Amino acid sequence: MRLNILIGGKAGQGINKVSEIVSQVLIRQGYFTFNYRDYPSLVRGGHNFNILALSEERVGSFESKLDGMVALDEKTIELHEKDLKKEGFVIRFDQFEGMGRNLNIALAGALIKILGIDKQVLIDEIKKQFDNDETIAAAEKGFESAESKFDLKKLDNNVVMMTGSQAVAQGAINSDIDLYLAYPMTPATGVMHELASKQLDNNLMVFQPENEITVVNAALGASFAGAKAMVGTSGGGYDLMTEGLSLQGISEIPLVVYLATRPGPGTGIPTYSSQTELDVALYGGHGEFPRVVIAPGDPIECIEKTNEAFHLAEKFGCLSIVLSDKHLAESEFSSDRKPNKNLVVKVKRKVPGEAIVKTSSYEHDELGNTTESGEIAVVNAEGRLAKYDKIKEECKKFEMFKIYGDKDSKNLVISWGSNKTVILDAIAGEDVKFLHILYLKPLSDEVQKEMEKADNIILVEQNVTGQLGRLLREKTGIKIEKKILKFDGRPFTSDKLREELLKLK
Amino acid sequence: MSDVKNKLATKNENTWCPGCTNFLILESAKRAIAKLIEEGSKQEDFAMATGIGCHAKMFDYLNISGIYGLHGRVIPTCLGMKLGNPNLKVLGFAGDGDTYAEGMAHFIHVARYNPDMTLIVHDNQNFSLTTGQATPTSQVGYKNKAKPLGEFNTPFNPIKLALASGTSFIARCDSKDMMHMAEILEKAMKHKGFSFVEIIQDCAIFNKGNKGKDELMYKISDNSDSDVARKLAEEWNYNNEGGKIPLGVLYQEEKPTLEDKWPQLTELKEKKVSWKNK
Repeated sequence: MRLNILIGGKAGQGINKVSEIVSQVLIRQGYFTFNYRDYPSLVRGGHNFNILALSEERVGSFESKLDGMVALDEKTIELHEKDLKKEGFVIRFDQFEGMGRNLNIALAGALIKILGIDKQVLIDEIKKQFDNDETIAAAEKGFESAESKFDLKKLDNNVVMMTGSQAVAQGAINSDIDLYLAYPMTPATGVMHELASKQLDNNLMVFQPENEITVVNAALGASFAGAKAMVGTSGGGYDLMTEGLSLQGISEIPLVVYLATRPGPGTGIPTYSSQTELDVALYGGHGEFPRVVIAPGDPIECIEKTNEAFHLAEKFGCLSIVLSDKHLAESEFSSDRKPNKNLVVKVKRKVPGEAIVKTSSYEHDELGNTTESGEIAVVNAEGRLAKYDKIKEECKKFEMFKIYGDKDSKNLVISWGSNKTVILDAIAGEDVKFLHILYLKPLSDEVQKEMEKADNIILVEQNVTGQLGRLLREKTGIKIEKKILKFDGRPFTSDKLREELLKLK
Repeated sequence: MSDVKNKLATKNENTWCPGCTNFLILESAKRAIAKLIEEGSKQEDFAMATGIGCHAKMFDYLNISGIYGLHGRVIPTCLGMKLGNPNLKVLGFAGDGDTYAEGMAHFIHVARYNPDMTLIVHDNQNFSLTTGQATPTSQVGYKNKAKPLGEFNTPFNPIKLALASGTSFIARCDSKDMMHMAEILEKAMKHKGFSFVEIIQDCAIFNKGNKGKDELMYKISDNSDSDVARKLAEEWNYNNEGGKIPLGVLYQEEKPTLEDKWPQLTELKEKKVSWKNK
């Protein structure tokens, strides 16, 4: 069984609380959930909605047709009624007059009843989050007012729920991060909030300076001084940092960058999702220098890949970029998979305080002294190339891509990043193999072999030019003709994507 | 002294122009650092960042740790070093173009953070290494290859801005007075918090119309009165139109540093360790 329930209202009415309570209850009952958050760039008012998908089996997306709707205002019904299935249910705000601030709690209570879950499970969850009788009464009132429509029995699955932001933060903590620097920018800010709230318990520091230029240069200064440093940004903030990335390239000071992309150019549609920044992740910053670009596809991979990014940055003195987007960073995913074994990241290089250490934005000799010698310039440039080969060799120890679906199929879907989970839902049971590329740079040589084995390749991306497709053509010489590209800022729904994929099969 | 000071020298060929007062700034920096080493600091505890410009060659001639950074980014690089290891004694060498043009935002905000570090600005009132274009402290009328019609804009007074931003130590020196620079740099490095030393410098090659300030300069005794500091800041407007140029510690106050404010950094300082050995 799979259900898709929309929860909508004005910003500030507490729709996220509804999804959170209901998701937590479902997770405790052993169900898988996926919660998508859709909101415009404003603080109060407007129209926000979440779509909560739930299933007895793994789920990582929602569908275009709704099984139910929780409306905190009239506008929610006006806008989304067209997507409601014929037999779909609606829980209306005006069923609960006089609830005031607890309206959302009452609606959550009603939804739990409709799903056929025990009242006690609801009350336990409410008590965990709120310690007041009024809120508990609101949840009870909501519960009592509704009729059960489903019968969600307790399952044995051991499921955890997490956003990509929480997972990237966890990966950084697992890597023993010392310093996270960032300037607020959606959708990267979640990691800053997460780490800031955990900084004292984990002996790390989160610093928000005056702009992204300070973020990157201070991160390099701190890393040089011996800290494991990471910066977080998006779009325009990343653009401001690129000169600093170039400094990383020549100075070889370890640096991890979390880049949560957003739909540009310019300010674009800042609170929506896209995959438009793969190009700048691969090429941002002048000059030629090695880097690693990794794009996890779900929160568990965010934990693993952030850890690998730290490992590579420290081991090779390189730039590691972890790519994400709003869909991955802010959606709540459920998982029953445990992350791979964590790599211990240690600073082994000599740092100031222990020795005299010099590095430079100029071409320099091994002691850090400036040089304009053509011979040394050549040696250094070749050294940077050779370093990239070593990085590539090291990356082979990790999952650089993963294959899903029917492994013998000649129909190959290729994608990256947050499209992973919706593609998995879309291809379930079909004659399709799915290649999810985790390391965009270095790219595994196996990718070309997989492409050569296929008769029919379909590229799926959330941008207008097919940035991964261009990268693959550059690296393999294979041009992918069939593309499903979406660039309205909204994620794929699994049913529509399945239709499109089957058309191209 | 000379043994300690000799260890601060490097073997790199010096490429400053003959007659450039950067030689004197380098010597005064070595003397001030040597003094601190003689008083118990280790040479390895010092770290510097430089920008890009003539001043930045200090990096190659001073034997302490450091990053030869990006133009305009001396302050963030130094700030990062303090975040990375608050036990380091951090020096930033920057130019007037670096600090007051490309990197202005950092100059204001670093005063708010108040990290325990020293910023030394070699202010020669033009971009020398790129052959003499105007900086924000160039005088009105200064003709150069980029502005043949002359500089139209009133120069900006960094001392006034430093005061307004809350900089906890502000000093000014003459690049020709090596002994005075050494004395002021020592005070700046011993100050707890962000110390800013502006060094008024004539370029040997460019912006010659800005010379002839020696008569205007006079030394003051250390000041910690903010009203007096504001008056001192107003005495010279960088426009080469007379006035008086007070030299010395123009303002100093004790206030919580970056390291005092952040418990994580306080702990590293107390344990005398970096993040690496936390």
